[in-house]
Amino acid sequence: MSKDKDSKEIQGYRQQPGKLPFSKPGSGGKNSFSKPIDLENIPVSQNGRKDQPWGPHRHDSLISGQVIGRPTALVDSAWKVTGQAQYGDDIRLPNELIGRIVRSPYHYAKILSIDCSDALNLPGVVAVATGIDAKNKFGVLPVTKDEHAMAVDKVRHAGDLIACIAAENENIAREAERLIKIEYEILESIHDIEDGLEDSEYPIHDRGQYHIGNSNIQKRVFQEFGDISSLEKNTVASHRSNWTFAGVNHGFTEPHAVVANWSPDGRLTLYTPQQVPHYVHRSLADVLEIPMHQINVHRTFVGGGFGGKSDPFPHEMCAAILARKSGRPVRITFDREEVFWVNRGRHPSKIEMNLHADSEGRICGIETDALIDGGGFASFGHVTTYYNGVLHTAPYEIGSFHYTGARVWTNKPASGAMRGHGAVNSRCAVEVGLDDLAEKLEVDPITLRLANLLPPHSATITGFRVTSIGMRECLERVKKESGWSEKFRKMPLGKGIGVGCGFFISGSGLPIHWDPNKFPHATVHLKIDMDGGVTIHTGAAEIGQGSDTVVSQSVAEVLGLPLDMIRIRSRESDTSPVDLGSYSSRVTFMNANAAISAAMKIRDELIKAASDITGASLNSLIVGDRRIFDKNDPAIGVSYLEALHKSQEEKGALISSGAYRTPPMGKTHKGAAAGLAPAYSFSAYVAEVSVDIETGKTTVDKVWAAHDCGKALNPLAVKGQIIGSCHMGLGQVLSEEMRYGRSGHLMNPDFLDYKIPSIHEMPEVIPIIVESNDPEGPFGAKEAGEGPLLPILPAVCNAVYDAIGVRTEELPITSEKVFKLVEKKCRLQGISNPLDLKSPRLEFSDLQNTLDKRAQLHSKRDIERRLNSNREEYYNGAIFGLEPTKSPEEIDDNWSVRVIPEENYLLSPRLAGSAWKHIERRNMGD
Amino acid sequence: MVEFRLPMLPQPGEVVWSVKINGIDVKLNIESNAILLDVLRDQAGSLGTKRGCDMGTCGCCSVLVDGEPRLSCLTLAAELNGHEITTVEGLANGHHLHPIQKTFTEFGGSQCGFCTPGFLVVSSALLSENNDPTDEEIKTAIEGNLCRCTGFQQIVDSIRAASDIIKENNSIEDSTSAKSNPHPGFMEGG
Repeated sequence: MSKDKDSKEIQGYRQQPGKLPFSKPGSGGKNSFSKPIDLENIPVSQNGRKDQPWGPHRHDSLISGQVIGRPTALVDSAWKVTGQAQYGDDIRLPNELIGRIVRSPYHYAKILSIDCSDALNLPGVVAVATGIDAKNKFGVLPVTKDEHAMAVDKVRHAGDLIACIAAENENIAREAERLIKIEYEILESIHDIEDGLEDSEYPIHDRGQYHIGNSNIQKRVFQEFGDISSLEKNTVASHRSNWTFAGVNHGFTEPHAVVANWSPDGRLTLYTPQQVPHYVHRSLADVLEIPMHQINVHRTFVGGGFGGKSDPFPHEMCAAILARKSGRPVRITFDREEVFWVNRGRHPSKIEMNLHADSEGRICGIETDALIDGGGFASFGHVTTYYNGVLHTAPYEIGSFHYTGARVWTNKPASGAMRGHGAVNSRCAVEVGLDDLAEKLEVDPITLRLANLLPPHSATITGFRVTSIGMRECLERVKKESGWSEKFRKMPLGKGIGVGCGFFISGSGLPIHWDPNKFPHATVHLKIDMDGGVTIHTGAAEIGQGSDTVVSQSVAEVLGLPLDMIRIRSRESDTSPVDLGSYSSRVTFMNANAAISAAMKIRDELIKAASDITGASLNSLIVGDRRIFDKNDPAIGVSYLEALHKSQEEKGALISSGAYRTPPMGKTHKGAAAGLAPAYSFSAYVAEVSVDIETGKTTVDKVWAAHDCGKALNPLAVKGQIIGSCHMGLGQVLSEEMRYGRSGHLMNPDFLDYKIPSIHEMPEVIPIIVESNDPEGPFGAKEAGEGPLLPILPAVCNAVYDAIGVRTEELPITSEKVFKLVEKKCRLQGISNPLDLKSPRLEFSDLQNTLDKRAQLHSKRDIERRLNSNREEYYNGAIFGLEPTKSPEEIDDNWSVRVIPEENYLLSPRLAGSAWKHIERRNMGD
Repeated sequence: MVEFRLPMLPQPGEVVWSVKINGIDVKLNIESNAILLDVLRDQAGSLGTKRGCDMGTCGCCSVLVDGEPRLSCLTLAAELNGHEITTVEGLANGHHLHPIQKTFTEFGGSQCGFCTPGFLVVSSALLSENNDPTDEEIKTAIEGNLCRCTGFQQIVDSIRAASDIIKENNSIEDSTSAKSNPHPGFMEGG
């Protein structure tokens, strides 16, 4: 059939078909047959055998059985294991100069003068730049641009940038550093987080009309949702705690490094290990005063990010400025100490957490007050301030939520985004609080959680749309696999078991830099030419998490191609579509969705070509391994290359573009967008610990870690993220701490004194993947990069309590702290030998049965809801007897929604809440 | 402000450095006080050897000196005159990866990859000495290396898997061999 058609069309000077003595173009090797379709990997909805307990998914028909769901080696791993991967400092351009940065030795000082003449006269010094060379401000968020390339008027923390030098080699640059004479006027610095709430003579920044009083408050948040008025009446048990969390650093192994080069055509290429090249791109344009199209941001391999490489950084501006001044490429590489000066790690925080339960074992109130230490700059601070509150409004249904948060500037290196951004500390406080509530209600903490979960397809109290939720399964799995029922409150003194949960956003619903109605969140371009290989252009930043792999997998799956036929170009802003980068766990969700949509367009063209050749109808053709064939008669079909060449006849290379944009969601109150995400991941961990009661040393023995990632597109990477998150979380809970001395100096800016767990501290982690097939996610996937970090902290804290009966409210739980807590407990009980202490025991009350029954009932409800496509709305509050299908603020007069405090609140505000005592300058009335 | 300035250090002398790096004789003029890591990265072209902390705490800069793991950031280059140095670039045989390189990719031993060269050289030294290490032996061998991504578990898995490959003497495919045929079902020349 196809031959006849061909012979009619091909005439004249063209070679007649069948007479070509050589093989079909580009066919390559001798491996000639495609794989039969693997039914185990094809969903039930497509007549395969892959179970779908959460029902069919909109991407089911795109599953060709190629790579999705199979453990897949990262596509760039061959570069890494051979030493060929080029990280920031591995970019060596001919004729390069070495840049060094002059940093402030003072915490807070006005710069009176800078004299660079001696440095410039030193042979070998090519260029020196200071703050006056780049006066424009930049920053992550458009509303809080507060950073300069180098200090313009004052330095805000020890290690703040003052000048930079480009020299022929590092020795000369270091010598020149010492020749720069700087006169300072030292200002009184503040280091205590609480001092930031007070008015100050010289606030660290001036936000003009938006400045809050004369204080160092960078951002304050007030949120009140739910039935606050009945809270006191309904409460039968309460938990109150006051937490202190030390700041922690990302501790990525690659120190920051950057190379800047202006090419002869006047364009700048900046090579930098960035999670978010796009922010740098924007900031460079602002600082250098050139249009964005004149800049190519080249993301190198990134030696670990974890949020620490997502800000646009001053040293990146410095390299560009020096390269511009010197006319030569400039490379700046940090030593480890400088990494700590730049920081952007997790905020040191003080969190007051009050939880209340009613007689039915429902969580009728969460009252959180979080004061977080932002250090010298805003960074992502606005968002962090919200996240400390709103990211613990799920997975439980709650009766009321009261949150006050404030972020203050202090004269420390800036805090910023770090894995589990803003959610980690307050999540720890909530989960430890729930453990305590369970103790007070005399029920099992896992049952308490299971009886209070939000169902699938519901809304949280703050109005976040929750789609899939695999929390219940996570809890049930860790309970079963850890042997929880035989161990909890039953182990000998010094041995304990604890549980913790968490949920996290899968991509931020609101892009930071633009209106989501104007631009998509993510865009992916595809190009296929006659060789058959697929080139993907995406700006998603591969930082080791496997973003290149997951985007390649998605395209490979839809087109039915093996991964080796896919090549991905994600490095350069010149060639990749704009992407918001790797933060807020957005890449898998948004970029894989965009990649699928781009690949679907190519797939349609290939199917059409196959239909033209074979005569089979479009609807009957499906894509298998490098072959497009009739699903009713697989013998009718064409190879991928044939279909490709047919569809190329008229237009050459196939190109397509796909994009993803989140649907409209959430509410409209101020701050409603913070924490809003198209889907959320859920996780539950159980940790088993040993505590040496005499020395206070805590050892984590084993962790059962269940994570609901929607669908594991690459189970190898998901497990890697779970185990890696455990490691990072264990560091924060057991040993990591940025320690500041009495004078405010950072005492441990190195890996010797900043204690990251080594392999010997690392327990066995049993990763358990729970798949909930999210309707919005690509093939059902949600995030796995950050959420898995959250539960490990409270799980360990709760296990320590189970082991020795003391609760810490301070992280990290060092031996000294546990020792002191044990000592105190012994003193209170009049026991001289700590080995005589009793480990806690628990007899369940009648409420346990009530909760058990409710959990079972809800379990059935959840399964019905997830499988029923015509389900009704479900608003938070239904568990308290409100009509589930109507928004509670519409039907319940007691239901409050408030984002600004009432006057009487200010009579006795809580700690962070006291930020509202100040009046914003624009409202001062003068 | 207290004014104190150290005088510029005297220029170091130069020494001729002749070593074998990854099987190739190398002769370089280096500064007498040069650190091995600097010489490897800046002069010998081994950019696979990574700088993570400069003080021996992360193990990213590990190399083998006469087969023994050494932290190149704490090693004076001049001391190694006449010795044999192996870096991550010297592990593979052409395009045939060393088993440990292959298993690091397949078992997720490498995520961001920055610490990977250090882990690879250290574990290759372990495996050349002991092709059937216990988990404890593996942990002891890599205890000086820091990985912030993987939580170590998948690194141990990778090393164990590599030891199996070595024990069974399985060969590793050349990475340049033909990949997937986009035109399956049609023989060469057909």
